[in-house]
Amino acid sequence: MSYLEQELRALQASDETVFDFIQESTLAGLWYWNLTGDQEKWATAKFWRSLDYEPDAQFNQAAAWKAAISPEEETATAEYIATSIADHTYSFDQVVQATCHDGSTMWLHCWGLVLRNNLGQPHRLLGVLVDITRQRNEEISAQEVAGHYGAILGNQSVYIIRTDARGNYTYVNDFFYERFGLDSKIIGTSSLMSIIEEDRAKCLVTVGLCFEEPNVPHQVILRKPYHDNAVKSNHWEFKGIVGSNGEVVEIQCVGYDVTLLVDNLERSKQLLALTNQQNARLQNFAYIISHNIRSHSANLTALVKFLQNATDEAQATMFLEMLKTSTDKLAETIINLNEIVTVNNMGLQPKEMRGLRQEVSRTLEAMNVLIHESQLTVTLNIPEEVTVQVVPAYLDSILLNLLSNAIKYRSASASPQLTLDSYREGDYTVLSVADNGRGIDMARNHNKIFGMYKTFHDNEDARGLGLFIVKNQIEAMNGKIEVASEVGVGTTFKVYFSEIV
Amino acid sequence: MKLFELVYVIEDDFITSKITELYLQQHGAFKRVQKYKNGQPALDALHRASDQPAKLPDLILLDLNMPVMDGWEFLDALSAEHWPKPVPVCVLTSSINPDDIKRATSYTAVQGYFIKPMDAHLVDEMVQLLE
Repeated sequence: MSYLEQELRALQASDETVFDFIQESTLAGLWYWNLTGDQEKWATAKFWRSLDYEPDAQFNQAAAWKAAISPEEETATAEYIATSIADHTYSFDQVVQATCHDGSTMWLHCWGLVLRNNLGQPHRLLGVLVDITRQRNEEISAQEVAGHYGAILGNQSVYIIRTDARGNYTYVNDFFYERFGLDSKIIGTSSLMSIIEEDRAKCLVTVGLCFEEPNVPHQVILRKPYHDNAVKSNHWEFKGIVGSNGEVVEIQCVGYDVTLLVDNLERSKQLLALTNQQNARLQNFAYIISHNIRSHSANLTALVKFLQNATDEAQATMFLEMLKTSTDKLAETIINLNEIVTVNNMGLQPKEMRGLRQEVSRTLEAMNVLIHESQLTVTLNIPEEVTVQVVPAYLDSILLNLLSNAIKYRSASASPQLTLDSYREGDYTVLSVADNGRGIDMARNHNKIFGMYKTFHDNEDARGLGLFIVKNQIEAMNGKIEVASEVGVGTTFKVYFSEIV
Repeated sequence: MKLFELVYVIEDDFITSKITELYLQQHGAFKRVQKYKNGQPALDALHRASDQPAKLPDLILLDLNMPVMDGWEFLDALSAEHWPKPVPVCVLTSSINPDDIKRATSYTAVQGYFIKPMDAHLVDEMVQLLE
């Protein structure tokens, strides 16, 4: 025992102000109970003052005690006492919630000491009380705040993630777990690996920026598989957080789903590309119209001038004849243009399911006379059950064009053959139309075959429109057409009918 | 005034070809006009004449859109070969497409690009250009 402590003990025995000073300045009060008697209880004046009672006033201490300490608290205290006696520690501490005179709540930390008599029997209890209301309230408020933010973090429809400097998850909010069908097992695993492979480099670049320039957000869009395997695009804000060592120790990431946005953007891009393509087609079409009309109008202008200046009857008759031919050609050109405009306008006609073999047979039947005259041998290898999703009028036109071309440009030397096959290729049902006719010089003409007003043989009645229209029609049905040809060997057209409904 | 002993007119439309011939004949600068339905027979004729520079034409009027061998293919074939004397070409077409104009004038053989209708004024312009 130190000298000071010895002196203090002596002082306490002789000078009562020392005890009062200690009690008044440091404690909320004292209890002193008789454990052997009928629960005789005594509390210091300081205790009552702490509970907002005026100790000198005449109040019923028993009733006040009951009002201050709930029966549960009393039972709990009794249990603490019993336990401390049973385990021979004879001391315990307990947090007691007390109700003050004015009804307010007070939190008291109570240290209890069981005192024993000469025989070693427990007979008194000394309770020392310290007011911890302020700390307690701060604790409660801190818990509330934490709970509140926890709820915000958990219930947001944004992803909140923290990773260590190596990119391993250290925190993930509930929304993220829910959306991606994950649980806390992912904590400690690599966040990078959860991103689709193509986007990992992009992610690493952004993480690099967080190290170069910490404490400011760096944005990136990353794709990640959803629990149903659908890939979602998320917009992220990464921020490098600097630790006490001055280095980045954590990456904070806040993200939200932008799949719809990204999809829409992609769709807009596709639409824009389609529009550009259509514009280019339209402009090209305008040039073609201008060219074709101009050719005839130029002739008409010239012929009228020649007719006016004609010197004799024979000349005048010749110019008049030419004028008539020119007006006829102009009329024909306009009819042709109408035909093309119609195809381009009818883009989205309802598609119907048709049996391919039946449709081909029908067209062959309609061309029966021509086929017979040209002695064309047709081999039809299309199975009965093959069907195609088509605009019926377009299919008619396509078949008619391809079959009549095969007749028109049949071989002059060999006996003309035509073979029709069909097969499945990816999302397409393919119709192949192969002849052993004159063929087209592909090296020279591969860019022109499906162009407008392009003819490849010195054929007076070729309009140069058929394949142009066929291409437009098959493309209007989301299909495509390909050609392979060799001069003197034959031509094979492959028509791809899209089977995507 | 420069004289054109022989001019080739390469044009698939019979009437246009005839009109061009008539306008050329009305102009004093042109003597003989030879008409071809597309690039191929014209190229064949050039080959036949290539042994004597005097038999080669002094000017070729060339249409662009033609069957069998169009104006572009003709220009490619012409440019790919060496001729005993330069054969100037004037494109005479209905196409106002700027891409066509740019492409045509990129050939060294092409001296001018003329848009139909053909008339006396246009022939004058052509003669002046080639002077």
